[in-house]
Amino acid sequence: MATTVIAPRQPCTCNHTHHHHHNNTQDAPPRRSPQKQFIVPPLSFQLVATGVYRSGYPLEINFPMLERLCLKTIIYLGDQDYLPENLAWCSSHNIKLYHYRQPAVREPFVSNDPTYISEALTILLDRRNHPVLVHSNKGKHRAGVLVGCMRRVLQGWSLAATHAEYGRYAGEKGEADLEFIELFNPELTYEEEWAPRWLREGPKKATGAIN
Amino acid sequence: MSQFNKLVPPPNFCQVEEGLFRSGQPTSINLSFLSELKLKTIVWLAVEEPDETLLGWLDDNNLTLYHLGLQEGGAPWDAITVESITDALEHIINPSNFPILVSCSMGRHRTGTVIGCLRRLQGWNLSSTLEEYRRFTGNRRNRLENELRIEYFDTALVKLPQREVRPSWLWLD
Repeated sequence: MATTVIAPRQPCTCNHTHHHHHNNTQDAPPRRSPQKQFIVPPLSFQLVATGVYRSGYPLEINFPMLERLCLKTIIYLGDQDYLPENLAWCSSHNIKLYHYRQPAVREPFVSNDPTYISEALTILLDRRNHPVLVHSNKGKHRAGVLVGCMRRVLQGWSLAATHAEYGRYAGEKGEADLEFIELFNPELTYEEEWAPRWLREGPKKATGAIN
Repeated sequence: MSQFNKLVPPPNFCQVEEGLFRSGQPTSINLSFLSELKLKTIVWLAVEEPDETLLGWLDDNNLTLYHLGLQEGGAPWDAITVESITDALEHIINPSNFPILVSCSMGRHRTGTVIGCLRRLQGWNLSSTLEEYRRFTGNRRNRLENELRIEYFDTALVKLPQREVRPSWLWLD
């Protein structure tokens, strides 16, 4: 009676001048120690600039990945109460949480709150808070507004480039956000000594610096 | 310099990790932005050469260019070969090349395939990896062939640098 061995399939890299033989595990190429577990980043995760990450709402499945980033600060832009497991995780990892209760934008009834965005930008302007994770629920619109304002106000990006990045996450929706990003022009106070290196010195640099 | 008073990053520009950036082909309007990154190396993945403007700028600024997109009889829309991906990754995980830019014509497909394979090497799950790939191609322009390259990439092909000189973000435990 024949025995059938079912081996996990590997991509085959050999030149086939003979019959396929890769159902025999002994022929499998040498491999690194098997991956213990996947690294699972939160939805829409991305490095924005040195010390600043963005994403959707982190869940427990993402905690091991986020622990590797050694986060010091989380900025949550959203109107839900922060989940108890996330609060516990933040406190056990000494992560300071700033929660701005910005509801989802639905013009003409609900708009972006410039006070939240200014305060959040001020947090980003201090390297002592880095690494920072900025997140909303899906990581598309509210996180995108903050990142867009950071590109414009702090890094001197053109509006078209800023909109292109916003759109990469948000797709077609978000006209009100795009307009907000264009018109938002706050006065921010920060300490030059702790300013991140990606802060651009230029004609439109954040005003109101230092004591 | 440029006619714009603002910085204009190249199309599909993004920082991937510390010391590592990705984008489409930079043009003259992007050079002041690029200068601020103080790049040392460019990994160029298109079949064709970069244009004269970019080549001149690379030369003037003493950047090292690795043109890895060459493939015999290859068309620009063909998927990048496994050999090119492996070569590219070995440059990308070598900190002596940092800061490094990975680029092709549009910064979507070839660049996205290589960055996707990098995420696999980093141990990312496949859905998150493909989500990132599709963020740059747009959901309707993703190419199954490239996604299969990412899914079936054998990370054991990549020769790793010594543990002490690996980038901090290359987590392999």
